[in-house]
Amino acid sequence: NTLNKVLKHEKTPLFRNQVIIPLVLSPDRDEDLMRQTEGRVPVFSHEVVPDHLRTKPDPEVEEQEKQLTTDAARIGADAAQKQIQSLNKMCSNLLEKISKEERESESGGLRPNKQTFNPTDTNALVAAVAFGKGLSNWRPSGSSGPGQPGQPGAGTILAGTSGLQQVQMAGAPSQQQPMLSGVQMAQAGQPGKMPSGIKTNIKSASMHPYQR
Amino acid sequence: MRKILSPRVRGYRQDFLKIAQVYPVPYLTGGSESSCVVFNLDTMEAPPVTMMPVTGGTINMMEYLLQGSVLDHSLESLIHRLRGLCDNMEPETFLDHEMVFLLKGQQASPFVLRARRSMDRAGAPWHLRYLGQPEMGDKNRHALVRNCVDIATSENLTDFLMEMGFRMDHEFVAKGHLFRKGIMKIMVYKIFRILVPGNTDSTEALSLSYLVELSVVAPAGQDVVSDDMKNFAEQLKPLVHLEKIDPKRLM
Repeated sequence: NTLNKVLKHEKTPLFRNQVIIPLVLSPDRDEDLMRQTEGRVPVFSHEVVPDHLRTKPDPEVEEQEKQLTTDAARIGADAAQKQIQSLNKMCSNLLEKISKEERESESGGLRPNKQTFNPTDTNALVAAVAFGKGLSNWRPSGSSGPGQPGQPGAGTILAGTSGLQQVQMAGAPSQQQPMLSGVQMAQAGQPGKMPSGIKTNIKSASMHPYQR
Repeated sequence: MRKILSPRVRGYRQDFLKIAQVYPVPYLTGGSESSCVVFNLDTMEAPPVTMMPVTGGTINMMEYLLQGSVLDHSLESLIHRLRGLCDNMEPETFLDHEMVFLLKGQQASPFVLRARRSMDRAGAPWHLRYLGQPEMGDKNRHALVRNCVDIATSENLTDFLMEMGFRMDHEFVAKGHLFRKGIMKIMVYKIFRILVPGNTDSTEALSLSYLVELSVVAPAGQDVVSDDMKNFAEQLKPLVHLEKIDPKRLM
Protein backbone atom coordinates (compact mmCIF):
# COMPACT_ATOMS: atom_id res chain seq x y z
CA ASN A 1 0.00 0.00 0.00
CA THR A 2 2.99 2.23 -0.18
CA LEU A 3 2.00 3.27 -3.67
CA ASN A 4 -1.32 4.61 -2.41
CA LYS A 5 0.41 6.35 0.43
CA VAL A 6 2.85 8.02 -1.89
CA LEU A 7 0.11 9.08 -4.26
CA LYS A 8 -2.05 10.50 -1.52
CA HIS A 9 0.70 12.25 0.24
CA GLU A 10 0.04 15.92 0.46
CA LYS A 11 3.46 16.70 -0.87
CA THR A 12 2.94 14.78 -4.12
CA PRO A 13 2.22 17.25 -6.87
CA LEU A 14 -0.98 16.98 -8.86
CA PHE A 15 -0.03 14.89 -11.83
CA ARG A 16 -2.28 16.60 -14.28
CA ASN A 17 -0.40 19.79 -13.86
CA GLN A 18 2.75 18.20 -15.07
CA VAL A 19 3.88 16.63 -18.27
CA ILE A 20 6.18 13.70 -18.54
CA ILE A 21 8.40 13.69 -21.57
CA PRO A 22 10.48 10.68 -22.41
CA LEU A 23 14.14 11.33 -22.94
CA VAL A 24 15.27 8.17 -24.68
CA LEU A 25 13.11 5.90 -26.78
CA SER A 26 14.40 2.79 -28.43
CA PRO A 27 12.59 0.11 -30.36
CA ASP A 28 14.94 -2.48 -28.87
CA ARG A 29 14.02 -4.90 -26.22
CA ASP A 30 15.22 -3.78 -22.85
CA GLU A 31 16.00 -6.57 -20.42
CA ASP A 32 16.32 -4.39 -17.36
CA LEU A 33 12.98 -2.81 -17.99
CA MET A 34 11.48 -6.23 -18.48
CA ARG A 35 12.77 -7.37 -15.12
CA GLN A 36 11.59 -4.27 -13.33
CA THR A 37 8.10 -4.33 -14.76
CA GLU A 38 7.87 -8.10 -14.27
CA GLY A 39 7.64 -8.71 -18.00
CA ARG A 40 4.90 -6.27 -18.68
CA VAL A 41 6.87 -3.66 -20.62
CA PRO A 42 9.42 -5.30 -22.88
CA VAL A 43 10.18 -2.32 -25.09
CA PHE A 44 10.27 1.32 -24.24
CA SER A 45 9.17 2.71 -27.55
CA HIS A 46 6.82 5.38 -28.85
CA GLU A 47 3.82 3.07 -28.51
CA VAL A 48 4.34 2.73 -24.80
CA VAL A 49 4.57 6.46 -24.14
CA PRO A 50 0.92 7.56 -24.56
CA ASP A 51 -0.28 4.81 -22.26
CA HIS A 52 2.29 4.89 -19.53
CA LEU A 53 3.34 8.49 -19.39
CA ARG A 54 -0.08 10.07 -19.65
CA THR A 55 -0.94 12.59 -16.97
CA LYS A 56 -4.08 14.16 -18.30
CA PRO A 57 -7.23 12.52 -19.65
CA ASP A 58 -8.27 12.68 -23.29
CA PRO A 59 -9.39 16.07 -24.54
CA GLU A 60 -13.04 15.05 -24.94
CA VAL A 61 -13.08 13.49 -21.54
CA GLU A 62 -11.42 16.59 -20.15
CA GLU A 63 -14.14 18.73 -21.65
CA GLN A 64 -16.91 16.66 -20.14
CA GLU A 65 -15.27 16.68 -16.78
CA LYS A 66 -14.93 20.45 -16.91
CA GLN A 67 -18.62 20.71 -17.78
CA LEU A 68 -19.62 18.51 -14.89
CA THR A 69 -17.52 20.43 -12.42
CA THR A 70 -19.01 23.74 -13.50
CA ASP A 71 -22.54 22.29 -13.16
CA ALA A 72 -21.82 20.97 -9.72
CA ALA A 73 -20.36 24.25 -8.58
CA ARG A 74 -23.37 26.11 -9.95
CA ILE A 75 -25.87 24.27 -7.74
CA GLY A 76 -24.39 25.36 -4.49
CA ALA A 77 -23.17 23.43 -1.51
CA ASP A 78 -26.48 22.99 0.37
CA ALA A 79 -28.46 21.79 -2.57
CA ALA A 80 -25.67 19.46 -3.44
CA GLN A 81 -25.69 18.01 0.08
CA LYS A 82 -29.43 17.50 -0.10
CA GLN A 83 -29.11 15.77 -3.40
CA ILE A 84 -26.40 13.55 -2.08
CA GLN A 85 -28.48 12.57 0.93
CA SER A 86 -31.56 11.79 -1.06
CA LEU A 87 -29.54 9.73 -3.48
CA ASN A 88 -28.05 7.74 -0.63
CA LYS A 89 -31.45 7.19 0.90
CA MET A 90 -32.97 6.01 -2.33
CA CYS A 91 -30.09 3.68 -2.98
CA SER A 92 -30.33 2.08 0.45
CA ASN A 93 -34.10 1.67 0.13
CA LEU A 94 -33.72 0.03 -3.20
CA LEU A 95 -31.04 -2.28 -1.88
CA GLU A 96 -33.21 -3.30 1.02
CA LYS A 97 -36.15 -4.01 -1.20
CA ILE A 98 -34.08 -6.06 -3.56
CA SER A 99 -32.50 -8.13 -0.84
CA LYS A 100 -35.86 -8.73 0.86
CA GLU A 101 -37.43 -9.74 -2.41
CA GLU A 102 -34.59 -12.12 -3.08
CA ARG A 103 -34.91 -13.71 0.31
CA GLU A 104 -38.63 -14.11 0.07
CA SER A 105 -38.80 -15.21 -3.50
CA GLU A 106 -37.16 -18.50 -2.68
CA SER A 107 -39.72 -19.37 -0.05
CA GLY A 108 -42.41 -17.24 -1.63
CA GLY A 109 -42.22 -19.21 -4.81
CA LEU A 110 -43.04 -22.32 -2.83
CA ARG A 111 -45.52 -20.77 -0.46
CA PRO A 112 -48.57 -20.69 -2.69
CA ASN A 113 -47.96 -24.34 -3.36
CA LYS A 114 -47.09 -25.26 0.15
CA GLN A 115 -50.37 -24.07 1.54
CA THR A 116 -52.02 -27.26 0.48
CA PHE A 117 -51.67 -28.61 3.98
CA ASN A 118 -51.17 -27.30 7.42
CA PRO A 119 -48.96 -29.30 9.79
CA THR A 120 -50.79 -28.04 12.87
CA ASP A 121 -54.00 -29.32 11.42
CA THR A 122 -52.35 -32.64 10.69
CA ASN A 123 -51.33 -33.01 14.30
CA ALA A 124 -54.72 -31.95 15.57
CA LEU A 125 -56.52 -34.42 13.34
CA VAL A 126 -54.19 -37.29 14.16
CA ALA A 127 -54.57 -36.57 17.86
CA ALA A 128 -58.34 -36.50 17.49
CA VAL A 129 -58.45 -39.86 15.77
CA ALA A 130 -55.84 -41.50 17.97
CA PHE A 131 -57.16 -40.57 21.39
CA GLY A 132 -59.96 -38.09 21.03
CA LYS A 133 -58.17 -34.84 21.67
CA GLY A 134 -60.57 -32.02 21.01
CA LEU A 135 -63.55 -34.33 20.73
CA SER A 136 -64.45 -34.74 24.37
CA ASN A 137 -67.02 -32.09 24.60
CA TRP A 138 -66.80 -28.53 25.57
CA ARG A 139 -63.92 -28.27 27.90
CA PRO A 140 -60.34 -28.28 26.65
CA SER A 141 -57.72 -29.76 28.94
CA GLY A 142 -56.75 -27.17 31.49
CA SER A 143 -56.02 -27.71 35.16
CA SER A 144 -52.98 -29.63 36.16
CA GLY A 145 -54.08 -30.49 39.64
CA PRO A 146 -55.76 -33.78 40.39
CA GLY A 147 -59.49 -33.62 39.90
CA GLN A 148 -62.09 -34.97 42.23
CA PRO A 149 -64.15 -37.98 41.47
CA GLY A 150 -67.68 -36.97 40.67
CA GLN A 151 -70.76 -39.00 41.27
CA PRO A 152 -71.01 -41.51 38.55
CA GLY A 153 -74.38 -42.54 37.50
CA ALA A 154 -73.33 -45.91 36.33
CA GLY A 155 -71.21 -46.92 39.21
CA THR A 156 -67.80 -47.13 37.59
CA ILE A 157 -65.37 -44.31 37.39
CA LEU A 158 -63.89 -43.89 34.02
CA ALA A 159 -60.42 -42.58 33.50
CA GLY A 160 -60.47 -41.36 29.99
CA THR A 161 -57.71 -39.98 27.84
CA SER A 162 -54.79 -38.05 29.10
CA GLY A 163 -55.35 -34.50 30.16
CA LEU A 164 -57.76 -33.81 32.90
CA GLN A 165 -60.88 -33.07 30.97
CA GLN A 166 -64.48 -33.41 31.83
CA VAL A 167 -65.85 -36.39 30.03
CA GLN A 168 -69.44 -36.62 29.04
CA MET A 169 -70.87 -40.05 29.41
CA ALA A 170 -73.57 -40.95 27.03
CA GLY A 171 -75.84 -43.89 27.23
CA ALA A 172 -75.36 -46.29 24.45
CA PRO A 173 -77.63 -45.50 21.57
CA SER A 174 -80.33 -48.05 21.25
CA GLN A 175 -81.15 -49.36 17.92
CA GLN A 176 -83.26 -46.68 16.39
CA GLN A 177 -83.28 -43.67 18.61
CA PRO A 178 -80.21 -42.39 20.31
CA MET A 179 -80.91 -41.58 23.94
CA LEU A 180 -79.38 -38.77 25.82
CA SER A 181 -78.55 -39.86 29.30
CA GLY A 182 -75.49 -37.75 29.84
CA VAL A 183 -73.70 -37.98 33.11
CA GLN A 184 -70.97 -35.51 33.65
CA MET A 185 -68.03 -36.75 35.56
CA ALA A 186 -64.87 -35.11 36.59
CA GLN A 187 -61.88 -37.13 35.77
CA ALA A 188 -59.83 -38.32 38.66
CA GLY A 189 -56.10 -37.99 38.39
CA GLN A 190 -55.64 -41.66 38.94
CA PRO A 191 -52.75 -43.78 37.88
CA GLY A 192 -55.06 -45.25 35.32
CA LYS A 193 -53.55 -43.47 32.41
CA MET A 194 -50.87 -44.20 29.88
CA PRO A 195 -47.41 -44.47 31.40
CA SER A 196 -46.44 -41.01 30.28
CA GLY A 197 -49.62 -39.73 31.84
CA ILE A 198 -48.69 -41.40 35.07
CA LYS A 199 -45.50 -39.45 35.36
CA THR A 200 -47.17 -36.11 34.88
CA ASN A 201 -49.93 -36.98 37.26
CA ILE A 202 -47.53 -38.02 39.95
CA LYS A 203 -45.62 -34.83 39.50
CA SER A 204 -48.62 -32.61 39.76
CA ALA A 205 -49.98 -34.61 42.63
CA SER A 206 -46.79 -34.27 44.61
CA MET A 207 -46.61 -30.55 43.97
CA HIS A 208 -50.12 -29.87 45.01
CA PRO A 209 -50.30 -30.62 48.73
CA TYR A 210 -47.01 -29.02 49.61
CA GLN A 211 -47.24 -25.81 47.72
CA ARG A 212 -50.64 -24.64 48.61
CA MET B 1 -79.02 -59.97 28.18
CA ARG B 2 -77.32 -61.35 31.24
CA LYS B 3 -75.07 -58.89 32.91
CA ILE B 4 -71.54 -59.96 32.28
CA LEU B 5 -68.95 -58.96 34.82
CA SER B 6 -66.05 -57.29 33.18
CA PRO B 7 -63.19 -59.68 32.93
CA ARG B 8 -59.71 -58.72 34.03
CA VAL B 9 -57.93 -56.65 31.51
CA ARG B 10 -54.88 -58.79 31.19
CA GLY B 11 -56.50 -61.79 29.76
CA TYR B 12 -59.17 -59.73 28.19
CA ARG B 13 -58.07 -59.70 24.65
CA GLN B 14 -57.79 -63.43 24.40
CA ASP B 15 -61.16 -63.90 26.07
CA PHE B 16 -62.77 -61.43 23.79
CA LEU B 17 -61.33 -63.05 20.73
CA LYS B 18 -62.60 -66.40 21.85
CA ILE B 19 -66.06 -65.03 22.36
CA ALA B 20 -66.18 -63.07 19.17
CA GLN B 21 -64.69 -65.79 16.98
CA VAL B 22 -62.50 -63.56 15.00
CA TYR B 23 -62.59 -63.74 11.29
CA PRO B 24 -60.42 -60.93 10.02
CA VAL B 25 -62.56 -58.66 7.95
CA PRO B 26 -60.91 -56.46 5.38
CA TYR B 27 -63.11 -53.55 6.21
CA LEU B 28 -63.86 -51.35 3.27
CA THR B 29 -61.35 -53.04 1.03
CA GLY B 30 -63.59 -53.93 -1.79
CA GLY B 31 -66.77 -55.65 -0.99
CA SER B 32 -65.45 -59.00 0.03
CA GLU B 33 -68.45 -59.50 2.22
CA SER B 34 -68.34 -63.13 1.29
CA SER B 35 -65.33 -63.58 3.49
CA CYS B 36 -66.88 -61.77 6.43
CA VAL B 37 -68.80 -63.68 9.06
CA VAL B 38 -71.12 -61.67 11.20
CA PHE B 39 -71.32 -62.67 14.81
CA ASN B 40 -74.80 -62.17 16.14
CA LEU B 41 -74.57 -60.72 19.59
CA ASP B 42 -78.22 -61.19 20.36
CA THR B 43 -78.36 -64.90 20.16
CA MET B 44 -74.64 -65.40 20.75
CA GLU B 45 -74.51 -67.67 17.79
CA ALA B 46 -71.94 -68.03 15.14
CA PRO B 47 -72.17 -70.17 12.09
CA PRO B 48 -70.78 -73.66 12.57
CA VAL B 49 -67.05 -73.60 12.66
CA THR B 50 -65.49 -75.77 10.05
CA MET B 51 -61.99 -74.71 10.70
CA MET B 52 -59.98 -74.76 13.89
CA PRO B 53 -61.40 -72.60 16.67
CA VAL B 54 -59.49 -69.50 17.49
CA THR B 55 -57.39 -70.27 20.52
CA GLY B 56 -54.52 -67.93 20.01
CA GLY B 57 -53.64 -69.18 16.59
CA THR B 58 -54.79 -66.08 14.78
CA ILE B 59 -52.62 -64.59 12.14
CA ASN B 60 -51.36 -61.43 13.63
CA MET B 61 -52.53 -58.74 11.29
CA MET B 62 -50.66 -55.51 11.41
CA GLU B 63 -51.83 -52.18 10.22
CA TYR B 64 -49.25 -50.04 8.47
CA LEU B 65 -50.22 -46.42 8.57
CA LEU B 66 -49.12 -43.10 7.10
CA GLN B 67 -51.01 -39.92 7.83
CA GLY B 68 -51.15 -36.40 6.57
CA SER B 69 -53.67 -33.69 5.98
CA VAL B 70 -54.84 -31.42 3.22
CA LEU B 71 -56.58 -28.08 3.46
CA ASP B 72 -60.13 -27.80 2.20
CA HIS B 73 -59.31 -25.71 -0.80
CA SER B 74 -56.75 -28.22 -2.05
CA LEU B 75 -59.04 -31.18 -1.63
CA GLU B 76 -60.15 -31.19 -5.24
CA SER B 77 -56.64 -31.40 -6.60
CA LEU B 78 -55.82 -34.19 -4.20
CA ILE B 79 -58.91 -36.13 -5.22
CA HIS B 80 -58.02 -35.76 -8.87
CA ARG B 81 -54.53 -36.95 -8.26
CA LEU B 82 -55.74 -39.92 -6.29
CA ARG B 83 -58.24 -40.83 -8.96
CA GLY B 84 -55.39 -40.93 -11.38
CA LEU B 85 -53.04 -42.90 -9.19
CA CYS B 86 -55.40 -45.38 -7.64
CA ASP B 87 -57.34 -48.31 -9.00
CA ASN B 88 -59.98 -47.41 -11.47
CA MET B 89 -63.32 -47.45 -9.75
CA GLU B 90 -66.23 -45.23 -9.03
CA PRO B 91 -65.33 -42.61 -6.48
CA GLU B 92 -66.49 -43.93 -3.17
CA THR B 93 -67.65 -41.69 -0.39
CA PHE B 94 -68.44 -42.70 3.13
CA LEU B 95 -70.09 -41.27 6.17
CA ASP B 96 -69.20 -43.10 9.34
CA HIS B 97 -69.89 -42.67 13.01
CA GLU B 98 -67.12 -43.94 15.20
CA MET B 99 -67.28 -44.47 18.94
CA VAL B 100 -64.28 -45.29 21.04
CA PHE B 101 -64.82 -47.42 24.11
CA LEU B 102 -62.50 -47.81 27.02
CA LEU B 103 -62.34 -50.58 29.58
CA LYS B 104 -60.59 -49.54 32.69
CA GLY B 105 -59.00 -52.38 34.52
CA GLN B 106 -56.68 -52.49 37.46
CA GLN B 107 -53.78 -52.01 35.13
CA ALA B 108 -52.39 -48.71 34.00
CA SER B 109 -53.57 -48.48 30.43
CA PRO B 110 -57.22 -48.92 29.57
CA PHE B 111 -58.26 -51.29 26.86
CA VAL B 112 -59.48 -49.43 23.80
CA LEU B 113 -61.95 -50.67 21.24
CA ARG B 114 -63.33 -48.72 18.32
CA ALA B 115 -66.84 -49.28 17.06
CA ARG B 116 -67.75 -47.84 13.72
CA ARG B 117 -71.02 -47.80 11.88
CA SER B 118 -71.89 -46.56 8.44
CA MET B 119 -74.46 -43.82 8.37
CA ASP B 120 -75.08 -43.86 4.66
CA ARG B 121 -75.01 -47.54 3.88
CA ALA B 122 -78.07 -49.29 5.14
CA GLY B 123 -77.56 -52.84 6.25
CA ALA B 124 -73.81 -52.66 6.52
CA PRO B 125 -72.46 -54.43 9.58
CA TRP B 126 -70.90 -52.55 12.44
CA HIS B 127 -67.16 -52.68 12.54
CA LEU B 128 -65.24 -53.33 15.71
CA ARG B 129 -61.57 -52.70 15.73
CA TYR B 130 -58.72 -53.21 18.13
CA LEU B 131 -55.48 -51.33 17.54
CA GLY B 132 -52.40 -52.13 19.53
CA GLN B 133 -49.53 -49.95 20.52
CA PRO B 134 -47.34 -48.83 17.64
CA GLU B 135 -44.30 -51.01 17.24
CA MET B 136 -41.17 -49.14 17.97
CA GLY B 137 -38.87 -51.02 15.67
CA ASP B 138 -37.63 -47.78 14.21
CA LYS B 139 -35.53 -49.44 11.58
CA ASN B 140 -36.02 -48.31 8.05
CA ARG B 141 -39.69 -48.82 8.50
CA HIS B 142 -41.38 -45.83 6.99
CA ALA B 143 -44.85 -46.44 8.32
CA LEU B 144 -46.43 -46.68 11.74
CA VAL B 145 -47.01 -50.35 12.47
CA ARG B 146 -49.47 -51.64 15.00
CA ASN B 147 -51.35 -54.78 15.73
CA CYS B 148 -54.85 -54.74 14.35
CA VAL B 149 -57.92 -56.90 14.80
CA ASP B 150 -61.03 -56.21 12.74
CA ILE B 151 -64.40 -57.73 13.44
CA ALA B 152 -67.76 -57.20 11.83
CA THR B 153 -70.67 -57.32 14.23
CA SER B 154 -74.39 -56.86 14.36
CA GLU B 155 -76.11 -53.69 15.43
CA ASN B 156 -76.29 -54.12 19.17
CA LEU B 157 -72.57 -53.83 19.54
CA THR B 158 -72.76 -50.85 21.85
CA ASP B 159 -75.14 -52.61 24.23
CA PHE B 160 -72.80 -55.54 24.32
CA LEU B 161 -69.81 -53.42 25.06
CA MET B 162 -71.59 -51.53 27.81
CA GLU B 163 -72.58 -54.81 29.41
CA MET B 164 -69.01 -55.95 29.23
CA GLY B 165 -68.02 -52.91 31.20
CA PHE B 166 -66.79 -50.61 28.48
CA ARG B 167 -67.59 -46.95 28.62
CA MET B 168 -67.63 -44.65 25.66
CA ASP B 169 -64.79 -42.23 25.75
CA HIS B 170 -65.38 -40.11 22.68
CA GLU B 171 -67.06 -40.26 19.32
CA PHE B 172 -66.87 -38.50 16.02
CA VAL B 173 -68.28 -38.55 12.53
CA ALA B 174 -66.00 -39.12 9.59
CA LYS B 175 -67.07 -38.07 6.14
CA GLY B 176 -64.96 -38.39 3.08
CA HIS B 177 -63.63 -40.38 0.19
CA LEU B 178 -62.09 -43.76 -0.12
CA PHE B 179 -59.58 -44.98 -2.68
CA ARG B 180 -57.78 -48.23 -3.15
CA LYS B 181 -54.61 -49.26 -4.82
CA GLY B 182 -53.90 -52.93 -4.56
CA ILE B 183 -53.84 -53.66 -0.86
CA MET B 184 -53.38 -50.02 0.04
CA LYS B 185 -56.34 -48.07 1.23
CA ILE B 186 -56.39 -44.31 1.06
CA MET B 187 -58.96 -42.41 3.04
CA VAL B 188 -59.50 -38.69 2.81
CA TYR B 189 -61.99 -37.61 5.38
CA LYS B 190 -63.10 -34.77 7.56
CA ILE B 191 -63.64 -35.26 11.25
CA PHE B 192 -66.75 -33.80 12.78
CA ARG B 193 -67.16 -33.30 16.46
CA ILE B 194 -70.48 -34.40 17.86
CA LEU B 195 -71.91 -31.60 19.93
CA VAL B 196 -74.74 -33.46 21.56
CA PRO B 197 -73.67 -36.94 22.55
CA GLY B 198 -75.56 -39.57 20.67
CA ASN B 199 -76.98 -37.13 18.19
CA THR B 200 -75.13 -37.43 14.94
CA ASP B 201 -76.97 -34.55 13.33
CA SER B 202 -75.47 -31.82 15.43
CA THR B 203 -71.88 -31.86 14.29
CA GLU B 204 -69.24 -29.34 13.61
CA ALA B 205 -66.03 -29.76 11.72
CA LEU B 206 -62.98 -30.12 13.86
CA SER B 207 -60.65 -28.23 11.57
CA LEU B 208 -60.38 -26.78 8.10
CA SER B 209 -58.45 -29.77 6.85
CA TYR B 210 -59.15 -33.24 5.70
CA LEU B 211 -57.18 -36.06 7.23
CA VAL B 212 -55.45 -38.28 4.69
CA GLU B 213 -54.60 -41.80 5.72
CA LEU B 214 -52.76 -44.43 3.77
CA SER B 215 -53.10 -47.80 5.40
CA VAL B 216 -52.45 -51.43 4.68
CA VAL B 217 -53.59 -54.36 6.77
CA ALA B 218 -51.19 -57.18 6.21
CA PRO B 219 -49.81 -60.14 8.13
CA ALA B 220 -46.96 -59.38 10.46
CA GLY B 221 -43.47 -59.32 9.13
CA GLN B 222 -44.07 -57.94 5.68
CA ASP B 223 -42.00 -54.85 5.89
CA VAL B 224 -41.81 -54.54 2.14
CA VAL B 225 -45.30 -53.14 2.38
CA SER B 226 -43.98 -50.02 4.02
CA ASP B 227 -41.64 -49.44 1.09
CA ASP B 228 -44.56 -49.56 -1.32
CA MET B 229 -46.42 -47.14 0.89
CA LYS B 230 -43.51 -44.77 0.94
CA ASN B 231 -43.27 -44.83 -2.84
CA PHE B 232 -46.94 -44.05 -3.10
CA ALA B 233 -46.64 -41.27 -0.60
CA GLU B 234 -43.89 -39.71 -2.72
CA GLN B 235 -46.40 -39.39 -5.54
CA LEU B 236 -48.65 -37.26 -3.43
CA LYS B 237 -46.03 -34.70 -2.57
CA PRO B 238 -46.09 -31.72 -2.47
CA LEU B 239 -49.86 -31.69 -2.10
CA VAL B 240 -49.82 -33.82 1.02
CA HIS B 241 -46.98 -34.97 3.19
CA LEU B 242 -47.79 -38.45 4.36
CA GLU B 243 -45.62 -39.44 7.22
CA LYS B 244 -45.36 -41.61 10.26
CA ILE B 245 -46.91 -39.67 13.09
CA ASP B 246 -46.52 -41.07 16.55
CA PRO B 247 -49.71 -40.34 18.50
CA LYS B 248 -47.85 -40.41 21.80
CA ARG B 249 -45.92 -37.36 20.75
CA LEU B 250 -49.13 -35.43 20.44
CA MET B 251 -50.39 -36.15 23.89
